[in-house]
Amino acid sequence: MSISKPLLEYARSLKPKGGFTQSISAFRRLLKYHSGYRWFLTAIVILALIRSILFAIEPLYTTYIIIYVIGPPTNLKPLLGYLLVIFLAGIGYAISNFVLTLVHGVMSQYIVRDIRTDYYSSLQSKSFSFYDSRGVGDLTSRATVDMQLVDSFLRTWLGTVLNAVFTTIIIIVIIFPISPIMTLISMATMPLIFYFTTRLWTETMPLFKNMQLIIGRLGSYIQQNIIGMKTVRIFRREDDVVDGFKDVEDVYVNTAINAGKIQSIYTPLGPAILTLGIALVYVYAGETLGVPGTALAIAQVGYLILFARYMMRLTMPIRDLSQTLGTWIAAYAGLERILEITDTPRNVEDLPDAKGLKIGKGKLEFQKVTFGYVKDRPVLDDVTFTVEPGEKIAILGATGSGKSSLIYLVPRFYDIQGGSIKIDGYDIREFKLASLRKQVGVVLQDVFLFSGTIRENIAFGKPDASMDEIVQAAKSARIHDFIESLPSGYDTPVGERGVTLSGGQKQRMTIARALITDPRILIMDDSLSFVDAKTEQEIQAAIEEATKTRTTLIIAQRFSTIKTAQKILVLENGSIAEFGPHEELIANNGVYKRVYETQFIQKASPIIEEAGGA
Amino acid sequence: MSGSYGTFSTKQEEKRKRTLPDRELIRRVYKYARSYRRNLIIGASATVAGAITGLAAPYMHAIAIDSIIETKDLSAFIWWIPLFVAIIMGNFAFQSIQTYHMRIVGEKVVARMRDDMMEKLQVVSLRYFSEGEAGRIISRPTNDANTVRIFLRLGLTSILVDISSIMGAFAIMLYLDLRLTLLAISILPVAIILVWFLGKYSRAAYRRTLITTSGLTAKMQEDLAGIKVTQAYAQEEETKKKFLKSQDENVKATIRAILIGSSYTPFVIGLRLIGTMIILFYGAMAVINGSIQIGVLVAFTEYQFSYFMPLVDLVSMYDQYQSTMSAIERMFDVIDTKVEVLDAPLQGASH
Repeated sequence: MSISKPLLEYARSLKPKGGFTQSISAFRRLLKYHSGYRWFLTAIVILALIRSILFAIEPLYTTYIIIYVIGPPTNLKPLLGYLLVIFLAGIGYAISNFVLTLVHGVMSQYIVRDIRTDYYSSLQSKSFSFYDSRGVGDLTSRATVDMQLVDSFLRTWLGTVLNAVFTTIIIIVIIFPISPIMTLISMATMPLIFYFTTRLWTETMPLFKNMQLIIGRLGSYIQQNIIGMKTVRIFRREDDVVDGFKDVEDVYVNTAINAGKIQSIYTPLGPAILTLGIALVYVYAGETLGVPGTALAIAQVGYLILFARYMMRLTMPIRDLSQTLGTWIAAYAGLERILEITDTPRNVEDLPDAKGLKIGKGKLEFQKVTFGYVKDRPVLDDVTFTVEPGEKIAILGATGSGKSSLIYLVPRFYDIQGGSIKIDGYDIREFKLASLRKQVGVVLQDVFLFSGTIRENIAFGKPDASMDEIVQAAKSARIHDFIESLPSGYDTPVGERGVTLSGGQKQRMTIARALITDPRILIMDDSLSFVDAKTEQEIQAAIEEATKTRTTLIIAQRFSTIKTAQKILVLENGSIAEFGPHEELIANNGVYKRVYETQFIQKASPIIEEAGGA
Repeated sequence: MSGSYGTFSTKQEEKRKRTLPDRELIRRVYKYARSYRRNLIIGASATVAGAITGLAAPYMHAIAIDSIIETKDLSAFIWWIPLFVAIIMGNFAFQSIQTYHMRIVGEKVVARMRDDMMEKLQVVSLRYFSEGEAGRIISRPTNDANTVRIFLRLGLTSILVDISSIMGAFAIMLYLDLRLTLLAISILPVAIILVWFLGKYSRAAYRRTLITTSGLTAKMQEDLAGIKVTQAYAQEEETKKKFLKSQDENVKATIRAILIGSSYTPFVIGLRLIGTMIILFYGAMAVINGSIQIGVLVAFTEYQFSYFMPLVDLVSMYDQYQSTMSAIERMFDVIDTKVEVLDAPLQGASH
């Protein structure tokens, strides 16, 4: 099976029609984001009205020059006055246009900021299960690439719509009193133009949206391929990657060409129809013209020119309007991808009566705990055990036995489905999330450091920590000496832009980070397996020091860790197989003894099966 | 060891000096386009034909007013209306053909370039993907490809339309009246200098937004990659504060770019206005003298419109052209990467 098959199937499954009503509801959502900017909206409406009025001045006064200056009778007196009006109106138009663009632009940036902040906030409160199934690249591109599409729509949309409406109204208001019949003739084509513009919109919208969706997926496909290039190479799937990619490209190109076909039929129709209207006006004017060379005839010619020029000017707002509809189509696809995430409900939340409780001794109890990522497929089933204050429990089990799930339940990274977890007798759901998590120290499997200094990273959980506290945490984690050896010491930058730390150094950094808050309860996922003997020793010493006085749940990879634990918990298929001190379990002659003899005695450490910590 | 710790940023990409001349890049893109030569030729000719038929419209108006209506020679409508309709329909048809064929060329050329990039990425040394480089590499088949796609589809066509509109407008104006044409173009040098000068500021402001945007993207990416840590330490508020700060910087830079970018339109409009006044003043005199007719005067004001805006458009297009050339160069950079050694399957697993 080709790697890109799901992507290809996805691209082919996109329907070329529909989605119109969804677009309306997305538009309503977007309007809601405008509601906080009433003053901006008011200013835009007023400025757009002024701009449209001033836009109509020049053709009107050019006609006045034809009728009253050129004549007959010729009269040069009012010429400079008319030119002055044209000039002032033009300057006024330029200024109102500038201010309008600016006000519109500022408002659009505020709205983009609001949408993105909502998106970001919602992401912060999503539980681990949300992130288990979604890539960082995709989530980032929604806030940037998709947001850019929304941005370009927001920058001009209202001004463009108002421009089309106001200019049409003002032109009708000016020309109707001059000649109702000619107005009717020239405006007769308006409904047709409107019809074709709407057709263009509704027919191409789904296609453009599909293109947007495919290009989004294609982007994350490329990203995965590049980030996972090692894996691709190891498994020799290079040809697969490229072949599948080309098929998806083809679907994309064909969709684009189809959209182009529709666009190329409808886009030029509007202006074409409008100009045909002018021909009709000319014929009518020719029929009714007075004797050539008279004042009456020149007035008629002057107004005829006014009609023709106004109609030609109308093509511009109409063209802009259909362009805006085009940007809406793209913006809508982007907005939908953003709101899809914002609207995903969070599934780990504070209970209404949650309190900021303080953990005292740190007694931890699991009672009949049931948990699964998917309903009816429990990963943990009926798990009951108690950890006395200050006790260290080493957790052992094969991949998929539920070790990580078990320890991640304590800080409520996931919520249990049945049973209860209690700390010092309080159900963990009685704690406010923030208060629970601040008191439970966590060393995750993934040793992630933020870009910033070493000091900032250690103090992450306690930004106001003193230098002494930071040094103390680093010493306990056996990383202090290494940090001191760096040229800038604790101020050395790490992360993408800083020094590159080894896996072992990163892990000790994360231990130091966990210790800064001096938590009563510590959970550790010690999955770093392939390390040299010296690093192994250092990590071991760090773990020992960290867990000395704290209630600890640790997923153990090393015999040395297991050796120093008071009790060992062996998980098998989501249930506790054995639980007790080392000697007791050896005496039991069960799973633990078998694992102990095959894994630790023969190979010392680590457990090979856990390589890579999958 | 990779030696560089640099993360991807637009700033670094922008700073990079271009090494290949434009001509060379265009030649290589044309190699891709050659398979779609038929589409390209049809599209380009349709673009020119569309612009010319578009320009014929004001002239047709002038004929209608001066030679048909004013002289009450209504029988001339027998040829004028079919010709007018034909020109408009032709304009419509040419525009359709152009949109359709240029889209095919744009999409297909970029798709094939992207295929070549992906193919090359599968065989280059794994060292190419060293730490911190992923973002930069990813942006080539995605962001850069998109820049080129948009340019081939819209930019190239509007450059063709602009050039043929300007040339056409000049030709017709010269045919209509030499003196008025010279008056009309007298303001051109000022306009070009002004647009160029203001364009420089707006380009600088735009580049700043690119930098803050890439900073914001990097921040978002890091915050999301570290979200589990943030949640584990209940530091959501603190992290959000920093993100909002980075976002505010971006908002400020963008607003500044909008301010500078839109501030030159009043000047452009003002200059065009001066041109219109000159034409109206001398034109009205000329009509009174009897040296030109009313229709020609009106046609002139319209043609002044039809060369001025394309010209401004063309000058401002320079920016898009430049960034497209850089994007094309970066894409070829991937395609041209030398395959040094074929890695043995596990060799690349460093640390």
